[in-house]
Amino acid sequence: MSLNPATLARVQFAFTVSFHIIFPTMSIGLAMFLAVIEGLWLKTKDALYLQIYRFWMSIFAMGFGVGVVTGIVLSFEFGLGFARFAQLAGPAIGPMIALEVLTSFFLEAGFLGIMLFGMHRVGPKLHYFATCMVALGTLLSASWILSANSWMQTPDGVAVRNDRLVVVSWWRVLNNPSWLVRLPHMLSAAYLTASFLVTGVGAWYLLRGKHLAFAKKSVALGTAFATVLIAGQVFIGDIVYGTMLTHQPSKMQAAEGFWEKESASPAPYYWVILPDQKEQRNRFALGIPYLGSIWLTHSLRGRVEGLKNTPPDAQPIMGMVFYGFRIMYGIAILMFAAATSSLWLRWKHRLYTTTWFLRFLVAMTPSGIIATLGGWYVAETGRQPWVIFRMLRTIDAVSPVPAQTLLATLIAFVCIYTFFMAAFLFFVARIIRRGPDLAPARAEASGSLKNAFRPHVLDNVNANAAVGR
Amino acid sequence: MDLPLLSAGFAALSVTLYVLLDGFDLGVGALLLLQPLEKSRDHMVDSITPTWDGNETWLIMTGVTLLAAFPVAYGILMPALYIPIIVMLLALGLRGVTFEFRAQMKPYRRRWDVVFAIGSIVAACMQGLILGALIEGISIDGATFSGSVFDCFHPFPLLCALCVLEGYVVLGGCWLQFKTSALLHGFSVRMLRIALPLFLLTFFVVARLALLVQPGIQAAWQAHPLLLGTVGCTLLIAAFILFMSIGKRPDVRPLAAGLVMIASGISGLAILVFPMIVPFRVSIWNASSSRLSQIFLLTGAIVVTPVILGYSFFAYWVFRGKTPEKGWDG
Repeated sequence: MSLNPATLARVQFAFTVSFHIIFPTMSIGLAMFLAVIEGLWLKTKDALYLQIYRFWMSIFAMGFGVGVVTGIVLSFEFGLGFARFAQLAGPAIGPMIALEVLTSFFLEAGFLGIMLFGMHRVGPKLHYFATCMVALGTLLSASWILSANSWMQTPDGVAVRNDRLVVVSWWRVLNNPSWLVRLPHMLSAAYLTASFLVTGVGAWYLLRGKHLAFAKKSVALGTAFATVLIAGQVFIGDIVYGTMLTHQPSKMQAAEGFWEKESASPAPYYWVILPDQKEQRNRFALGIPYLGSIWLTHSLRGRVEGLKNTPPDAQPIMGMVFYGFRIMYGIAILMFAAATSSLWLRWKHRLYTTTWFLRFLVAMTPSGIIATLGGWYVAETGRQPWVIFRMLRTIDAVSPVPAQTLLATLIAFVCIYTFFMAAFLFFVARIIRRGPDLAPARAEASGSLKNAFRPHVLDNVNANAAVGR
Repeated sequence: MDLPLLSAGFAALSVTLYVLLDGFDLGVGALLLLQPLEKSRDHMVDSITPTWDGNETWLIMTGVTLLAAFPVAYGILMPALYIPIIVMLLALGLRGVTFEFRAQMKPYRRRWDVVFAIGSIVAACMQGLILGALIEGISIDGATFSGSVFDCFHPFPLLCALCVLEGYVVLGGCWLQFKTSALLHGFSVRMLRIALPLFLLTFFVVARLALLVQPGIQAAWQAHPLLLGTVGCTLLIAAFILFMSIGKRPDVRPLAAGLVMIASGISGLAILVFPMIVPFRVSIWNASSSRLSQIFLLTGAIVVTPVILGYSFFAYWVFRGKTPEKGWDG
């Protein structure tokens, strides 16, 4: 295959944005988890909660750092790879991202410092307030970004005049048809991610017989959160499905793997397909009979719409959307299984001693991250060939940058991001190996404003000033 | 009200704050390469550790303001400056994580310091390339970049890269003289005595060449001779005061003079370029987004910016005085 600038620009954006989303997903989830834990600590005064808080805070701080560094890149990348998109969509998504920078950086600057370093300086109540503000900051930031992305999925509130986009109503731009269903979907995905991270680490300690009090509490809390969240997520996911079916039928047609305008009756639920986009058919398909009709049409013999309902030049690539969806959905089923087993084992008082279950939880540690990535693949590849749905084709949005240059920068991104990931995993593994007893009273991260609130730093500065330099 | 003008003012404020604030900490990073003593290098990094990431926020703010208020310009500039921007972002990212790694992995600190210095130098040079390419003028066709992504590697932008690096090193030297004592103080004085004349020499060559590569500059001089003359004189006076105060008390004077010197350079540039947002090509009014978009952005900026400025000032105030020799952890 010869080098195609459009493909390379898309691969580069896909790579950098996929890498980035891992870290905000963890930060959003862990920030809320930390807020809950600190609330429990304030209420019960049980030192175990404080230990859990400190342990996860140091991982949260590091993930937050990588998220910031990789997020900066994205704010320029809209224009680097997709200049025409930036020019057309700038008036609508630009102010949202600007407000995201202003509000989330404001909250970060104001409260992350207190959260990471200020426990002894400001007292527990104000510290708890800071933690809640950081959690609120991540939530706000997610709201802006989801609003911007949802606008690309279901654009509203704008008009095109003289080839330029004009915002007619900010209310309709922000509150576009898919925002309010996709935001809770993403938020509970992030909270599920954090629940399984916490549970997985706890289960790992239990299997090794270490840090038992910490581990039991982690598994108990994590599975409890996960159980509530997955029940809600199934429900929210169904609403998202319905909304997208109305506003972006091509995406859901591709997600289910059927080609014909109407599937056979009864429809199977496919798990493996080998789609042939050119011939508009599946070369191979494997599924469970009747299940497609039951799940998708809520009847025993209902028919499902296929991708041929969308003209070929407006079709997404079926394989990508289908497998993104299967990964997300498959993991959701596993999460559901974990949640129901945890309820059963909790009732039987065997939650901390059932080895197969604990091993399963360890394996599920990164499940939230993988499912979130799968979901975003559905959202983004399913929107294709549009970058702004039914307004601008991705192919028309690409910057006038030569393919070789794009390839060179893509390689640079891959190398440097691999290094970031390796370093992140190395440090997280070290924290987990050391265990919660050795978790520092403050985050280990050093290079930032956040130090401003470290009490002994202040003492040091004051002492220095007193000595008269 | 002229909303695009206000938005342009906000973008100018962001970029100025970025250059002044991140300028000195990139300069300190570059100077790490010339400092053989590990203890002194630790001390140098400690002097910028508390405040650097707040400084970089202004870079993001600049980029996002362009996207929101001047999408046409953003869409022209990003592809035109594709290579220097990506290299700059990667260099800043590497430098950012090095802050952590040099603290966490003592045995390899020397290597991390080299990465740190190179990251700083590359980021500074890329910003110089961007500046040079903007002055030289970007090829456009309608609202699209029509040149080659390698245009920014012409001799003039390369010279600008050197000039910006030297300027940042001067600011870095001033910062070190302000924040340190004893051994490092002497080091900063030696560095300043070399870096300042080099910077001024390069600056004058760049200024002279700019007249040749960009006819728009001559026109601007004819349009605002008094204004540009005043700014030029301020720059020279500040440079003179800086040179005379190297190594003398009060230690804050070189930094103040250095900041005034660089700030007048930026304002001179702003006057030369005004009212173009893609220099000498597209005006702020032709590149701006519609009224409602500007209002949305400006409302946010006006409400939040004072808070951010207040917070940043507080952070600097907390870490006022000389950086302790043993680091902030003591």
